[in-house]
Amino acid sequence: MKDRVCIVGIGVVEPPEPAVDLSHKELLFQATRQAMDEAGIERRDIGGAITTSYDFLEGRSLSNQYTLDSIGGVMKPCDLRLGDDGIYSLFAGFMEVLADPSLIVVVASVQKASERDAQGLGFQKLITDAMEPAFSRPLCQSVPGLIGLEAVLASMEARAFMDRTGLTEEDLAAVAVKNLKNARPGSKKKGPDLKEILGSELLSWPIRRATKARETDAACALILTSERRAARLSQEPVFVDGVGWSSDHGHFFLREHSRAAETVMAARQAYRLAGLRRPDQEIDLAEISDWYAHRELMHCEALGFCETQDLARCLAEGVFDQDGPLPVNVSGGLLGLGNAIGTSGLIRVAQVARQLQGRANGSQVPGAKVGLAHSWSGPPVATAGVAVLSRW
Amino acid sequence: MARRVAIVGVGMQKYEFHKTQTVEEMIFEVALDALERSKLSRDDIEAVVFGSAVDAMCGIHNSDKVAIAASGGLLKPTMRNSTSGSTAISTPILGYDHVASGLHDIVMVICYEKMSENEAAQKVFSTVYDEVFVRPIGLNVPIQCSLEARAYLHRYGITERQMAKVSVKNRGNALGNPYAQLPMKLTIEDVLASPYLSWPVKLLDTSPVTDGARAVILASEDVAREITDDPVWIKGVGRGADSVWFMGRKNYDLGRLDYAYLAGKQAYDMAGIKNPMTEIDYAEVYDPFTYKEMQHCEAMGLCPEGGAGRMIDEGVSLKDGPLPVNASGGLMGEGNPIGAGMSRLCWCYLQIKGEAGDCQVPKEVNTAVTNGWGGMYQYNAVMVIGRD
Repeated sequence: MKDRVCIVGIGVVEPPEPAVDLSHKELLFQATRQAMDEAGIERRDIGGAITTSYDFLEGRSLSNQYTLDSIGGVMKPCDLRLGDDGIYSLFAGFMEVLADPSLIVVVASVQKASERDAQGLGFQKLITDAMEPAFSRPLCQSVPGLIGLEAVLASMEARAFMDRTGLTEEDLAAVAVKNLKNARPGSKKKGPDLKEILGSELLSWPIRRATKARETDAACALILTSERRAARLSQEPVFVDGVGWSSDHGHFFLREHSRAAETVMAARQAYRLAGLRRPDQEIDLAEISDWYAHRELMHCEALGFCETQDLARCLAEGVFDQDGPLPVNVSGGLLGLGNAIGTSGLIRVAQVARQLQGRANGSQVPGAKVGLAHSWSGPPVATAGVAVLSRW
Repeated sequence: MARRVAIVGVGMQKYEFHKTQTVEEMIFEVALDALERSKLSRDDIEAVVFGSAVDAMCGIHNSDKVAIAASGGLLKPTMRNSTSGSTAISTPILGYDHVASGLHDIVMVICYEKMSENEAAQKVFSTVYDEVFVRPIGLNVPIQCSLEARAYLHRYGITERQMAKVSVKNRGNALGNPYAQLPMKLTIEDVLASPYLSWPVKLLDTSPVTDGARAVILASEDVAREITDDPVWIKGVGRGADSVWFMGRKNYDLGRLDYAYLAGKQAYDMAGIKNPMTEIDYAEVYDPFTYKEMQHCEAMGLCPEGGAGRMIDEGVSLKDGPLPVNASGGLMGEGNPIGAGMSRLCWCYLQIKGEAGDCQVPKEVNTAVTNGWGGMYQYNAVMVIGRD
C-alpha cells in the first residue's frame, strides 16, 4: 500500500504593499516559520528543502541557493530547482517523499517584484532573454524599446483563442469582474463591473490593464511528508493525490497558440494519478492561472472543466462563481491578488489546501473535498503544472 | 517504498572551449547518443530532467525551455535543476527520484552548459554573489578557492607538489579520452612553474572553461531487466549543503568540509558500504582544482582524512593503482562545463561496463562512487553505483 504524500504545514506571506523593508530571504523565512509552526516541527525535523527561483528576475545567478538558510536546509539534503515555476517545487518534493517516506520536506518559493523596476520593463527584457536567440528573439525587435512586448505576445494568443472559440472581449472581461470581486470577499464595494474593465487602458487588443495581472511580492512554503508521519503531526493534513507537469515547444513560432497543450498534458498525468475521470464533476474548486483573463478560459478548457463550446455559457451562468458547481479562482486569482511570478504557482496549492481544511476565511467553498491547483509559467514559453489535492 | 533504479545508457560528446553548436544542438546530440547506446527510442522516454548551472552563461533565461523538443521531452514532464557545479550529481539524483518514487519508468537526464556565449565566464560567474554584502569584496572563483586551498594545505600539511601530481595524473589520463578538451603530457615542474591565479592555486591546478553536455538514461528495475542482462544500479545517493553565508558556515575551517563528509556518509549508508577504501573499486571525483580532488577523496573516505597527499604520492589513485581516480581525466583533463560535470557519473558507468576505451582501468570495476561540488561553494552531492 503506497504511502500517500501530505501537506502538513502551510506558510504564505503576501504583503499588501511592496515589501521594501524585507529582503526576500526574510520574506521566505517568515513563510517557512509559519509552515513549520503549523506542522509543529523544528529545523532539526526537516529532512529536505527544495526551492524554485528565476535568476533573471532576481538579478543574481544561482539565486535559488540563497533561500537555503531561510528554509531550514543547512546541512540537510536539498535539491534546488531553478527556472521552473513555484509549483514545481511541490512536484520535486512529492517525488522525494515517495522515494523516502521518512522525510519531512520543505518546498518553497519567493518573489520580490518590488526590487525591480515598477513599470515592469525588466519583465519585458526577461521575455526576450527567454527566447531562443537565433530565430525567435529577433521577433522582439518589432516592439520598440520592448515596451508593451508582453501585451503584444499575450494578444496574439488571445486572438487565436477567441478566433477558434468564438469568445468575445466581454467574455474575457467577465473573468476579470469575477476574480476582482472574489478578491474582496465580504466587501461592500463590489469591484469594477464589465464596463469599467472594458474601459481600462488598452495595451494590445484584447489585452487591457484590468485583464492582465499586475506583479507583486510574495513568499510561500509548504511542508510535505508521508501519510504515516502526517498522522502524528498536529495539523489537519491535506493529501496530494496527483501531480503532472509538461512543456510545449519553447520556440514561439512552433506552437499552436490558441490551445494550452501543456496544461492538457499536465492535467492528464495528475488526473491519472489521482484517479479522476470526470474532472468537471469530481473537482470541488480550482485555483488556476489567470495571468491574463483569456488564460483562465484557455485553462478551464484544457483542464476539462467544460467543453469548448460551453465556455461562454458556463461563465455567464455562474458555473465558475464562488457559489457555482465548480468555483474557479475563488481566491481572486492572479488578477485579483497580483502575480508574484514563479511563487504564485505554489500559493495556488496553498489556497486549495486551505479550502480543503475549511480555513479559507471569507471565501470558503462549503464542503470542499477535492481541489485542483494549476500554474502556467508565463510568456514566452509554454509550461504548466497541475496538482490534485483532497481532504484528510 | 523506493524502487530500484538503474543506469541503462549514457550520451557523450566532445568537450570544447567553444562549441559552434547551440544549447539545443548540444542537448540533441547527447540525447540521441544515449538513445542509440541504450537501444531505446524517443517514445520510450517518459520524462526529462535537465541540469544546468548558470543561465547567464549562455544568455538564455530558463535555457532548458529552448531544448524541450531536442531532448525528447516535448509535451512530457520536464524539469530543470541547478545547484551550480554539484548539478553534476544532484540532477541525476533528481532523476533517481523520478523513478524511485514510482512516477516514471524511463527518464532521460541531460546536463549541459555553454560557457562561451559571453565576454568572460568569470565575469558572469561573479553575478552569483550577494549584492549587498559580498559583491563589494570582489571575490571570484580562483580567489575563493585559494582561500579554501590554503586552509586545506595548512590543516593537513598537503603540499603544492602533491597538488601538482594530481594535475599531471588527470591531464595525462585525458590523453586516452576522445571527448577531452585539454589532454596534456605534463611534468610536476610544468605545473609548479605555471602562473598563480591566487596562491596556492596555479593555472595548471585549474580546470578549463568549457562548452559541453552529457546524458544519462535511468530506468526502473523491471524495465532495466528487460533492456539489459547487466544493469548498473544506483545504490546510494547523498547530498549536503552548508550555509550560503560564508560568515555563517557551520564549519569555520574550510580545510575540512563537513557537508561533503555528510553527503558521502548518506550515500554509503544507503549503499550499505562501511569501508569505501576496500569496497569502492573506482572513483570519478569532482576536480575543478587539484586540491578539490584531494579534499573530496578524503570526504568520500577513499583515503584517510588528511591522507590525500600520501594517496597521490603512493600512486593509489593512478589509472593502474589500487583505487583509480579520474582515469577519464576528470574535469581538469576533460573539461568543466559547470552544470555538465555529470560526465563523472558517465565515466563511472563506462568503467563498470568495460566500455571506457583507452581510459579503461586494468582492474575489475563493480562499484564506483562519484561526486559533484558547487552551490555557493557549499553543496556536495554523491552517488554510488554498481552491480549487485
